[in-house]
Amino acid sequence: MSRTGRDPHPVIACGEVRTCLLPTRDALDERAAVKLLRLRPDERVRVSRHPNRYVVSPEVLTGVDCPLPTDTGARVRAVGTVGSHASLVEGRVIQATASFSLPAVGTDRRQAWSYYLVRPGSLVPVGQLPQRALVRGFLLGHRPGRLDVGSIAESVLARISRQDRILDHDPPLTAADTRLRWTAVRTAAGEEPSSLFTKGEDGLRTLELSLPSGLPPTAAVGLCEELALHDWLLTTVADKLDGLPTGAADDRAVLRVLRPLVDHLLHLWMPRARVDRVLQTVWNQLEETPGYSRQWTAHAQRIRDQLALRAIHLRDEVPGRR
Amino acid sequence: MLVFAASDKGGTGRSVTSANLAYHHALDGSDVCFLDFDFGSPTAATVFDLPDVPAEAEGTGLHAYLRGAANEPLRIDVWSRTEHLDLRDRPAGSGRLVLVPGDRSGGEFVTGEEHLHRCVDLILRLHREFDVIVVDLSAGRSYAVDLVLAATSPRGGLAGLKHRWLVFHRWTRQHVAAAAELAFGPRGIVQAGAAMGHEPDVLRAAIRFVRAAVPDLESPPWSHVTPAQYAWMRHCDSTLETLASTRGVGRTWTLASIPLEPVLQWQERLITIEDVYDRQIANQATWDALIGLAQQLTDDTLWGER
Amino acid sequence: MNESVPTFRETSAEPRVESLPFSHLSLEIGHLYMEDFAEGPDRLRRHFDTVRPWADAVRNDVGAHLADARPRVSTCFLIDDYFSRLTTPDELLPPLIDAAAGAGLTIDYLARESGCAVAPGADRTLVRPAESVMHRLVESPPPGSSGFRPPVSRTGWLSNGRRTPAQRSSAALDTAGAAWQPPRETDARGHSVFLDIELWSEAEGERTWSCAFLASVWQLVRLGLLRDNGRALLAPTPWDDAGFPTDWDALPPVLRLNPRAAPFTAYVTCSVLPRRFLPVEHAVRVVLDQVHVEDEPLRQVAERSGSEGFAVPAGVADRASYVFPLGL
Repeated sequence: MSRTGRDPHPVIACGEVRTCLLPTRDALDERAAVKLLRLRPDERVRVSRHPNRYVVSPEVLTGVDCPLPTDTGARVRAVGTVGSHASLVEGRVIQATASFSLPAVGTDRRQAWSYYLVRPGSLVPVGQLPQRALVRGFLLGHRPGRLDVGSIAESVLARISRQDRILDHDPPLTAADTRLRWTAVRTAAGEEPSSLFTKGEDGLRTLELSLPSGLPPTAAVGLCEELALHDWLLTTVADKLDGLPTGAADDRAVLRVLRPLVDHLLHLWMPRARVDRVLQTVWNQLEETPGYSRQWTAHAQRIRDQLALRAIHLRDEVPGRR
Repeated sequence: MLVFAASDKGGTGRSVTSANLAYHHALDGSDVCFLDFDFGSPTAATVFDLPDVPAEAEGTGLHAYLRGAANEPLRIDVWSRTEHLDLRDRPAGSGRLVLVPGDRSGGEFVTGEEHLHRCVDLILRLHREFDVIVVDLSAGRSYAVDLVLAATSPRGGLAGLKHRWLVFHRWTRQHVAAAAELAFGPRGIVQAGAAMGHEPDVLRAAIRFVRAAVPDLESPPWSHVTPAQYAWMRHCDSTLETLASTRGVGRTWTLASIPLEPVLQWQERLITIEDVYDRQIANQATWDALIGLAQQLTDDTLWGER
Repeated sequence: MNESVPTFRETSAEPRVESLPFSHLSLEIGHLYMEDFAEGPDRLRRHFDTVRPWADAVRNDVGAHLADARPRVSTCFLIDDYFSRLTTPDELLPPLIDAAAGAGLTIDYLARESGCAVAPGADRTLVRPAESVMHRLVESPPPGSSGFRPPVSRTGWLSNGRRTPAQRSSAALDTAGAAWQPPRETDARGHSVFLDIELWSEAEGERTWSCAFLASVWQLVRLGLLRDNGRALLAPTPWDDAGFPTDWDALPPVLRLNPRAAPFTAYVTCSVLPRRFLPVEHAVRVVLDQVHVEDEPLRQVAERSGSEGFAVPAGVADRASYVFPLGL
């Protein structure tokens, strides 16, 4: 491990991505987006314009010293910092990610705090690390008194939500937030990266990744954010289309549901925009089953068809007869 | 939209009516969240027919969250968890209906900056996920009332969110006077809000009254009484109307009158369309009044907009 | 198939971090309140006479740790123009410089404390070093911290451990919190020395940073560990003018009075201070222990000091040393 900076070869990385619609009437332009995500005045907000506009806040650290979640109930204390940041896609969808990595070797007791500050985003176990128990425990979710990565991600969103000069809290549609909880362990030498994606209740998703050991944790974070974004888009659009009255129902009511989807969401589908090349295979696996892009294309087509039909219908009405 | 449900006294039908209000908005396709801020006696789980929720909410409910004991409050999807048979099949085209239950661990508690911060964080978060957020507040000028007044004040963090107050009261002299006192009295909502930086006129314009358990004199059993009794009731009713209007609780400021409903006298529950037409246990008038209340709540023309 | 593009290269580029020149040691030869100056030139002369032998000792000590290189030591003096402004620079500074010279000391760099709060930045912008450092605080978590507690940016208080739980006045609440529990220093060896530091106060929306917090910023500036979007902060401005202005704000935040001075920023610092600053500097240590300094400035210091064979402690707080002599 280098003297400073992230551990390039952790054995496990874990995190949670929360995805939601930015609470504003219109998508933010780049200037406002940069202002919104300036979580630290002395550090630049990163902007990328291709293949879509993507703005990322500086990384914020939160110190923790608590037992790690395990499914066996084993108490493994870890000390260090959880890294978190927010990113904004096309000024419209905001994501907050909190994540940490764990080195293979822990310490026998808590070190001076400066030891942890030069390892940002690393939690160092005090004692032995039961890897399997941790991965399973983390995916099971938060339990009182144990590490709570979801709260750390949520606090980034909460902080951003309070920027009243930028946010008008008048969104064009409401959509449920999603949480993607993920773990990444190393693959055995020579194995392909693999993944197991699970869709749960109440917007909870889990993803278990096995990644080549050379890959930095940031690559896993990038993949998970991308997956969370597209899963959120698909979930939101599918929810809005579910139960949409067809046939002779009130055209205007239907248009009220469909218009915001076209105005605000349909153009955001951009799979693999920022996925590390090594991880493309993971994405490809998800494309085969359940076939996200196929479903998205079908939904998008349905929205456009419905809009076209309703527009014709409305135009054919006698003007002035409402 | 934020809807704050307040009442001066217990037993005004505040919780049960505002839960029905939430239900109607969800039926109408809105995504609705019901927050049980009745810290003294959380009852929403009963109204939504969620018998297991009170136990589940111990240590994870709203009270625990505001105190900092739970990181995120429990959320209950009413459609999938309720034991109310009519609600088990979520109606087509309906929106989400989520309860954030209270917990009994505390009762009223002392105010503090940190509680306020957590309250604002929570509501900002729910506001991006839900069209309508109904906040059921403990009776009286309670801690819960002060908390949301502070949260919606200019420096509170929720000032930019559209919010409306419903003050529930029963149709008696004492209840009418108490409702007026809660809204406009020296220790009432408007005065307390003004002390926290609210514009009194704006706050006043955001308050409407809901009359609950109102006897309809033109229908049975009231229409079947003796002429003397009927005349006396008529007189009481018109005296009350005069009293209400002099106290600022008159018809102009009343959003709805919910008739005295036998079903609700016996059980705090949601009234469903099946109760009215299939079982014929609830009155059509109650159903219509609840629909009317839901519509008027979101009809901007009835509210002095800001 | 989509190729992944190294997207962040395109616009904002990987942030470049300016490198700074470094002395071995930055020696602070005093920090006085405006009231001290009011006592006249004798007071100043006594101050520097007391500091002089300690300054010599520190210099010699640096030399003793270097195999062959000549020690680079720069001196500095911090003027408190943040909390009070009793006199003007043209009145205050010449006697100060004379008094130091009289005791055989040179003030290489003169700094204004308010520069740690607000200072001119690049392109006529303003930088706010204290605010930046506040956002870099990563609290050392007392055992049991699972990721949820109000951040220091909200409370304005930073401690070195776990506070006494707040007393609840409502008897209806859980009685567990009713008994008094002692605070606890996280890194205590046996017994605690618990410290809770007020970082700022606020009146009518106006924030006043505390002396302890500005002193922490001052240490970070001298240690060359702060940047603003990659650029150096509070770089010294040469001051060759014979006189000084009548307004503090007309002075740059850090002046280089001695053209031949070693660099202002240094691997380590030493401050010779009146004993009344002991609690303040204890607070400084606690703050420095919880500041997350950017990787790149840390790496610069490690690399350069390493190549000179000069040992620099890993922890930032350990890079600051102090002398609190009798007589100050």
